[in-house]
Amino acid sequence: MLRKVTSYLIAGSLLLFSALAAAASAPSEIKIGTLYASSGPFAAISMPVHLGLKLWVDQENAKGGVMVKPYGKRIPVKLVAYDDQSNTATAATLYNQLITQDKVNLLVADSGSVLTSMAVPIAREHKMLLLDQTGTGGTFFTPDNKYIALMSDPVSTIWPKYIADFLTKEGPKLGIKRIALIYATNDFTGTQANAVRKFIQDSHAPVKIVYDKGVPTKTSNYTVLLNNIKAAKPDAVIQMGYPGNDIAFLRNLHDSGTHFKWLFAIYPGLETEHMEKTVGIDGLKYVYTYTPSSVVQYHAESGMSLPEFHKAWDKAYPNSKVSFGFNAVAGYTTGLVIQNALAATKSLDQLDLRDAVFGLSGKLKTIDGTFALDKNGAQIGEITPLGQLVPDGKGSLKFTVVYPSDVATGKPVYPAPAK
Amino acid sequence: MLEYSILAGLLFGLYFCLVGLGLNLIFGVMRIVNLAHGDFVMLGALGACGLFGAYAINPIAAAVACLILFIIIGFPLYYLLVPRLLKSADPEMLSIILFFGLSQVIESLTTIVAGPTERSIPGNALGEHPVTILHQTFPSAWVVSAVASGVAVLLVFIYLYHTRIGRLTRAVMVHRDEALATGIDVGRVSGLAFGIGLGLAAVAGCFAPFMLGGITPASGVELTIQSFTVIIVGSLGSPLGTVLGGLIYGVSLMLMQTYFSSWAGLLPYLLLIAILLVRPSGLLGRKVRHA
Repeated sequence: MLRKVTSYLIAGSLLLFSALAAAASAPSEIKIGTLYASSGPFAAISMPVHLGLKLWVDQENAKGGVMVKPYGKRIPVKLVAYDDQSNTATAATLYNQLITQDKVNLLVADSGSVLTSMAVPIAREHKMLLLDQTGTGGTFFTPDNKYIALMSDPVSTIWPKYIADFLTKEGPKLGIKRIALIYATNDFTGTQANAVRKFIQDSHAPVKIVYDKGVPTKTSNYTVLLNNIKAAKPDAVIQMGYPGNDIAFLRNLHDSGTHFKWLFAIYPGLETEHMEKTVGIDGLKYVYTYTPSSVVQYHAESGMSLPEFHKAWDKAYPNSKVSFGFNAVAGYTTGLVIQNALAATKSLDQLDLRDAVFGLSGKLKTIDGTFALDKNGAQIGEITPLGQLVPDGKGSLKFTVVYPSDVATGKPVYPAPAK
Repeated sequence: MLEYSILAGLLFGLYFCLVGLGLNLIFGVMRIVNLAHGDFVMLGALGACGLFGAYAINPIAAAVACLILFIIIGFPLYYLLVPRLLKSADPEMLSIILFFGLSQVIESLTTIVAGPTERSIPGNALGEHPVTILHQTFPSAWVVSAVASGVAVLLVFIYLYHTRIGRLTRAVMVHRDEALATGIDVGRVSGLAFGIGLGLAAVAGCFAPFMLGGITPASGVELTIQSFTVIIVGSLGSPLGTVLGGLIYGVSLMLMQTYFSSWAGLLPYLLLIAILLVRPSGLLGRKVRHA
């Protein structure tokens, strides 16, 4: 009897000490370190992502913090964010600072492949998991690097698959035989261009690429390039660049009177509001683009629905100079992945966090679609359907999803009417 | 493709004449390096975008307004910054640092006020239909910008060579101390030249949304580099050199875009290296500068 009581007392004490030890070692805050670009060529894609993540942080802190499973309680989140001004050298220094000086618990990359690229080796060197928000460069995700996971965009090596599939499967039926490809030479669009080229060539469809040129990312005038593309007589043109490239391309196209029967560009889909203000409705009519999660209403099992998120965004950032679009959703999605990973992780050790993030693959459904990672951390879910911007009859534009057929909401308009 | 590239290059180059003209005028008169030049171009661009967006003011009217406004701003700015700079031991070097700082301040303040995203003006603000030149079709905005640039260059020539104040400006450009010794109010002449330089930059900015696509507060740095390429290729301190430098830059850029598109971004630096190796004084440079 005495032995039983003693055993219970010892077991109870051990449990009490463990609980006290765990509570005593629980951090007072979860530090999330990230960068953003408030100026420079990448500000347009960075600020919406940053504000989307910040919105998630503010919402979690309003509830008392984020639930962290190892400590069994909510812990406030501190967002440690620095401005890299779209400068890669500055970004590299700041990523190092976040890890070595600020000693953040979670490291989140700035938006876009260019500003993510220098974070990849730094995170790996410090054995820190890099939560890559929208950097889709194919070279980031390799079997020998465990310390990266892509949050929101599909990896560039598969993202343009629907473009290639449309052109090779539906294109010949529409009379598309000649394709022109022009792209900005950087990790993001360069990788996509390589991917779409390979998909088209491997398909053995009766289409060929008659113009294939890379241009510097800083290219701000496409008038001569458009004339050269026109000289190649393409039936379809694929333009891949960052917002500045797409704006210049579409404006120059509209102003020069040149007309293409089929034209794809990335940012009319990802930042539609911004493109409407800079290019104009007329310049975007009948353009094919990625149909973003800010338009398609995925059923979200974690976090807010799209209308709820848009409302929360408008409330948090009234009169904002930062447009709401896909990138805002991407930043919020990063927050949801962190939330769900912290709710499942065994500890704040980086490899345990990695296991928790990878454990969400195929299961986490947000307003960005289904989160799915391959074994190297590349996002293979959340693939955006191919859509076309068409006039809605009220002076504005609407998305028609044209491919794949199981999610299509209408037929493609081909050839696009001349403006 | 070749004919189109050359014609497009000439039109584009005329625009870059205007971009570089103000910088060359300031350097020619004061021997100071205005590293914030591109930021004044950017301010002109954002001003034109703002006036068009808010009041539907035509960019040409905005250019005239910006010219007057920036001349007025340039005068006190000159007296604030330049006289002390000119008294220092190495004004050229110090001006690089000073105006670099000014460039950063302008960019930061503009980002705070206007935000980081691109601004633009619809192309039809300068004409609804493309223009055909020698069987090649160009956006009407390009032709209008080129004509405006030509007018601006002509006005600068008239100012320098057919007005009394222009004669005095040329005297200061040749030798500042001698001009002072002959009783010329060097400060007033320089202040006016500084203001005109900034005004020309702002006018170039009003056409930038049409020539360069979207403008952001960060666009200034690239514009400064391009302006320097134009004036160094032509000749520092020579307005005619700026015209030549602009045309060479424009044609080279368009040819690079056609035949070596991936390398087009290197063009300003390649031209700078080439001219500094082959003819450091510029294509129209001489051992002694004459206005």
